[in-house]
Formats: sequence, structure tokens, C-alpha cells
Amino acid sequence: MDIKKVYNSKSVEEVIDILGEYGEKAKVIAGGTDIVIALNNNAIEPELLIDISKLEELKGIKVDKEFITIGSATTFTEIVESEIIDNNLYGLHKACKMVGSPQIRNKGTIGGNIANGSPAADSVPPLIALGGIVTLKSIEGTREVLLEDYYYNPIKEKELLLNIKFERPKDNQILTFAKLGLRKALAISRLTLSSFIEFDDNNTISFIRVASGALAKFPMREKELEDYLLGKILEKEIIEGAIEALRNSMDERLKGRSTLPYKRIAISTILREILEEALAFEEGVKAW
Amino acid sequence: MVDISITVNDKLYKISINENMRLIDVLRDELGLIGTKEGCGEGECGACTVIMDGEIVNSCLVMGFQADGSSIVTIEGLEREGDLHPVQRAYIEAGAVQCGFCIPGMVLSTKALLDKNPNPSDEEIREGISGNLCRCTGYNKMLEATKKAMEYIKGE
Amino acid sequence: MKLNVVGKNIIRVDAKSKVTGKALYPQDIYLDNMVYGKTVRSTKPHANIKIDISEAEKVDGVLKIFTYKDVPNKNEHGVVLKDHEVFASKKVVRIGEPIAFIVGETQKVCQEAYRKIKIDYEDLPAVFDPVEAMREEAPKIHGDSNIIYHYKLRHGDIEEGKKQSKYIVENIYKSPMVEHAFLQPEAGLGYLEEDGTVVVVIATQYPHYDREEVAINLGLPEEKVKIINTNVGGAFGAREDISAQIHLALAAMVLKRPVKVIFSREESFIAHSKRHPMIMKYKTGADENGYLQYMEAEIIGDSGAHCSWAINVLRKAGVHATGPYVIPNVKVDTYAVYTNNPFTGAMRGFGATQVPIAHEQQMDALAEKLGMNPIEFRMKNIFRKGSMTATGQILTDSVPLDRCIEAVDEKLKFSQLWKEVK
Repeated sequence: MDIKKVYNSKSVEEVIDILGEYGEKAKVIAGGTDIVIALNNNAIEPELLIDISKLEELKGIKVDKEFITIGSATTFTEIVESEIIDNNLYGLHKACKMVGSPQIRNKGTIGGNIANGSPAADSVPPLIALGGIVTLKSIEGTREVLLEDYYYNPIKEKELLLNIKFERPKDNQILTFAKLGLRKALAISRLTLSSFIEFDDNNTISFIRVASGALAKFPMREKELEDYLLGKILEKEIIEGAIEALRNSMDERLKGRSTLPYKRIAISTILREILEEALAFEEGVKAW
Repeated sequence: MVDISITVNDKLYKISINENMRLIDVLRDELGLIGTKEGCGEGECGACTVIMDGEIVNSCLVMGFQADGSSIVTIEGLEREGDLHPVQRAYIEAGAVQCGFCIPGMVLSTKALLDKNPNPSDEEIREGISGNLCRCTGYNKMLEATKKAMEYIKGE
Repeated sequence: MKLNVVGKNIIRVDAKSKVTGKALYPQDIYLDNMVYGKTVRSTKPHANIKIDISEAEKVDGVLKIFTYKDVPNKNEHGVVLKDHEVFASKKVVRIGEPIAFIVGETQKVCQEAYRKIKIDYEDLPAVFDPVEAMREEAPKIHGDSNIIYHYKLRHGDIEEGKKQSKYIVENIYKSPMVEHAFLQPEAGLGYLEEDGTVVVVIATQYPHYDREEVAINLGLPEEKVKIINTNVGGAFGAREDISAQIHLALAAMVLKRPVKVIFSREESFIAHSKRHPMIMKYKTGADENGYLQYMEAEIIGDSGAHCSWAINVLRKAGVHATGPYVIPNVKVDTYAVYTNNPFTGAMRGFGATQVPIAHEQQMDALAEKLGMNPIEFRMKNIFRKGSMTATGQILTDSVPLDRCIEAVDEKLKFSQLWKEVK
């Protein structure tokens, strides 16, 4: 570490200005759960560090008529303890609850989880499944990008990730999540899936987004699987068919990877878990 | 150097620290509070756990300057006029202490858990200390100690 | 007889100091005028080396960089065989082998000097598979054979045992390398007392061996070396070998200032021993009534680049190879073998931990062939009072294994379920 200057920033405007002035020499720190390790190992060597973890503008969960907006410096613990992120948004609660450990969740932020760009970021698949939109700001202006497209056009040097927002789910829409880790706490995900499903009055899937984590270079939509499930009723053979559909996508994408045979088998339990949780919720049973 | 003011164990410190210091370095090297241990330096083991503004954190993952204006409790802050905190007493009596290196962090996680939730279930206790690794005991003794501590706190 | 401790709830003497954070481990000790050390380690498993410290020495704040040339007496140590070098001189035999010890005014200075050390590695053919390492043509780690030790156990007549066996099972079992991951990474201090006594403050399992090793390397009489054991933050066998003791003593003696070193978790993983991985080939036979008649085992233990306790560990694996079963005809061969892997040594169980993976699965496999409840099969063959082990020992005292198995069976309801299924 060879940091020359540190800022406990007072406002978003100030952060944007500093980032604008110093560019690649500056780094933003929030929860620190990834960046302090990188700093300590000299994997990154910024001259300037800007703390945003106490910026009220970037904290908390806001609800308006159309959207739910989560500030980038909101911690996983704050999300887990929020009454907004519950019921048919339970998948996001569950994902955040499974991040790291209590210590990590108390500090780690949703913005950091996105900006860090890890393929195994737990909170990202549910946010993709929700159709989440990321807002980034720099001295050049503000841009919005769909989270599923974000990884093709990620955060730039001078940008600050402000928040992530998604449409308020309707009563017949349910978000679920499941994770495979090597143990309960502090396990980096081997595999995560999240589905956002809308059921019509006949229990037919009338809208669906499914996102995966750790199945590619970054979390992504599973469109082949979505196409298969759209318009169907979640019966036993349909779930089996869904597993096959996802396996087909994986076979193509992970061809030659040593982890493929393992993930092909593991995916069945994880996919079954998210679909059955969605079904149970639709039938009025809390599956969790 | 950067000036910070932090309250540690109810005492206010106004100090000048190197920008590169992590909170654990501030506590150990600047304030001499060596009860906070570094086991891995990357948030996996929890030996460096301290309570920061009421929440447990890994002090190896917080930069020193970020702690400006915050209130920290370390293991040295649990005793009151020479009396052990009920969690400390329970850990001793339950035989939960072996090599001891995880203990400061483990005790603080237990205390923070009981501060928030005086009646945790077994599952919640295990969850509460899931960020603290112990290589000696297998955690059952910590579970037992936590239950003992719950009783002591209720009796106070 | 009046017992003062047995059956009573005794509070351990150090518990209070540990729950209050007052207990000292080496990293917690700060001395006046103290400087810091950092170990430079090999990044190659097998290579000839040339080390150039000239640029690193120029870094402001560096006091000295120690290499093999600076060791006053013998440049070697080891709990059984002296096959570790204090600092690698001509070649390295594993990743993580110490090559130099930088001492500087601060940890940051050491870090900077560390980046400026140049090590020229000339790769040598390396071997990572112990079976391959046993072959004549394999690259040699130390000397002219990689086989450190061969333990033979012969009991009864194997050929006769085979004749008596209606059922024979033959399998190969492999157990992995295991890291102790004690929670307190290695750390220590070295300093000089006024009369020239060299003091090393460290968390160790063997202060008396450490003293002997340090005295030999430094060419001092043992009474001029003092090892102070602090609280030990877990060990599980991995603090039986030398870590930083000799480097600290040498630096303190030469520089006449207190020197402190703290390993990172990553360095700790790389620096110390692991549990021996074993390859266990087993043949076990039983007669038609379910009595064991013979067992033949060949067990190969990967010692990695140093012997450490390999001889003792592989002997113990051999002695325990039958498990707690009476077998009249036994032939066991165990081998400890050098490779270029991380070195292996003591870890909880010391060779007795690996073999149950093999002998217990053999028991299950035989019971299956016999169509017998595996618990009933074990009860026919276990050690009881008066049994003779394969090493010829008669067990004259308490052998309550039958009670243990019965209690487990009762809790598991295994035999009951067995009957229902059959």
C-alpha cells in the first residue's frame, strides 16, 4: 500500500469532482471487504482513497410509485433487515443473507458487489432477474444501464455507482434465489440461480427472467431456459425439462471446463429449489 | 498522515495515523490494544473482529481513516471495574477457550449477537459466530457458552 | 483414592487472560528499538539457484540480508534427519523453502527490499508423485534415493492366510494432504541479553529441540540460547518443525537489536508442514464364517521435500494398518518418500489417522461379500482383552471397543434397520 491521501467524502458531488480530477489514481472504498485485501496485497496501488460508506445520499432503500431504489452504499445487513426486501422479493433477501459472514454483511455493500465485477457476486443474479438498472455518474454526466448489460460496459475510472433500481413487483410476481457453496458461511458461490416469475390466473408462467452466477465470466440471463419455461405450468416434467434446457446452455458455454461435469449435476438441485420456491409462494406457502 | 478521532472502549482518541493503516493496525500498533488478533488479513477468520458503532466488523478490512468519528469496542473494553463480562465468564466456564487466538473475536461476536437478540436459537447462535473460525473446539463449546451467557445476562 | 482433578470441572489457568485479550502471542510483543524481518522463499519446486541481494541491500532502512553464507556453523536442521537448510545454498527442493532473511527498520522497508531481491532459478526435473519418485530413474531430491524409510511388519504366514480365505477384497485408497490452519500465524522475536545469550520468543511445540538446533547453527553452547514459549495459537503438529527460530536468533546475534517477524496467512500455508497424503493398497481376506484370515498392505506416504517426522509417521501407519482387528496373518510394507511437494510432518494422529480410511472400508467391503451385517462382522474380529495385535502385543488391559460399537449401534439403530431391510 502506498496511499498518499484519503478522503472521508461529504457529498456525491465532492466524490465526482475528486474522481474527475484524479482518474485512475483514485479509488473509491465503501465496505472495503474486497478492496482492502487488494490494497494489502499490492494488487492495486492507488494514490488516493475516497470513502463513500457514510454518504447518506448513497444509503438506504427508497420506494416510489414505480421503482424500488437501493443506494450503492447500502450494506447487505441493511437489505436483510429491510421490510421492503421481503415477501415476493425474498430472493434478494436470501441472496444478501448468504453473503460472507455477519462481519462481511455489516460492511459489504450492494454497489461494491456490482462494481467489483465478480462472476460469483451473490446479490447480482437476483438484481438481474428483477431487470435492475444501474445509475452511474461522472463529471461527464449520468448514465443508466441495465444490470444484465452492465458487464459489457462496466464502471469507468471517473464514474461513481450511485444506485440500482428495479420496478416494484406485482403480487403475482415472485423472486427466488439459491446458492451452492462449499459451506454455509464465507463460501464463494460455486453456482447461483435466481428467477423472477409472473404467474397468470391459471398458474401459467406469463413472464420470466432467470439469471445465473458463476456459470460464465459474469452473472447473466439464461434465455434458453426462459424461453423453455415461458407459457408453461411448473409441473414435475416441466422442471425436469428446464434442467435439461439449462444444461444445454451450459454445455455450450462451459465446453472443456473441468468444472462442467460437476456443475451439470449440481444445477439440478439449485434450479429445482428456485422453481419450487416460486411455486410454493404462488400457492400461498412460505417456502422459507 | 491523516487526523482521526475515534472512541475506543469509551475513550476518545485524537490521533494522527498513516493513510495506509487498517483499523487493526491503528488498534494494535498505535493504541497498543493487542487483544485484537490478525489471523488471515482477508476477512475469512474473524480473529480481528471488533464492534464498530454497534455492529461487528473485521478490523482487517476497514481502513483506519474510515473509522474517523466512530465508536469501537475491543476485547479490552468488556471488563467493568475488574469484573468479567458475562460472555467472558461463560466462555471460561464452558471450556470454550483453548488456544485462545480466536477468542477475542469470538467473544465480541457473541456479545454483539446477545446485545441485538437476547434469546437466540441454536441456529441463530451458530449464524452469529459463523464469521469466526476456531480450529480447536468444533464450536459446540461456544454454543454452550453463549447459552450460559444468556442466562447470566437475564439474571443481572 | 481421592482425585483432585478427574471428574471435576477445572478452569484452565490461561482462560482468563485469553478472554480478556491479555494473553500474549509473539505478534503481540513490541520491544524498544525493534526491527522487522521478512523471509524470502523459493517460488520453484526444484531448481538450482543464484541469489543477488545487491539492489535490495541498497534500500534505505535495510540493516542486513542474511543468506546461507551468514550461517556461522552448520547450515542444516530437521527433527529427525538434518535435511532442511537454514537458507537454501545451491538448490531449492520445494516452493516455500527459505532462501534469505531481510532485516529492516520497518515492515515496509522489508517489503521494498523483498521486491528487489533477484533469484535466478535454473529449473531441475521435479517429481510430485511418490510412486514415480520411488523409481530408480526419478529425479533425486536429496542424495541418491528418494525412499527415506521402509517399515516391514510380518506376522504369521500370508500364503496360509490366503488359503483360509473364502472372500478376498483388494482396493487402493488415497488420502489427501491436509493443512493444519492453526489460527495464529507463525511469528517470533529474537533479541540479545546483556551477557550475550540469544533469546528467541516464539510459539513452539518443542522449545528444547529448538534450542539445540539454534545452538548448533549459531555455533553457541546451548546455555547461551534461550527459547521462550509464549501462548501457542494452535499447532496440531505444525509447530514441531523449525519456522523462524534460527533466522531470528541469527539476526539478533549479528545485529544486536530485537528482530520481529510475522508470517502472513499465505506464508504460513507455504512455510510449514502438512499431513502426509497416503496411497494405501490393501488386500484383506476372511473365511466363510466371517473371521479375518489375512491382510496385506502397501502404504506409500508422500513426505514432500523434507523428512520431518516421516519415519515415525509411516511406522505408526504400519503399526495401525490392521485397525483394531485380530488378523492371524499380516504383511505390511510402508514407505516414506521424498518428492518436490510441500513437506509433510506431524498432524493430529501422526499416521494413525489415514489408515482407517482403508481398513474400515475393507471391513465394509468384506461384510458385503459375506452378506453379513458390517457391525456383526466387526464384532467377530475386534480386539478384546487378551487379543494379540499384528505386532505381537498382547492387550492385557481394558479394551472396551465392543461396548463402544454396541453403543454406537444402539444410537444409530443400525442393526435394527439392517434386520428390517433384509
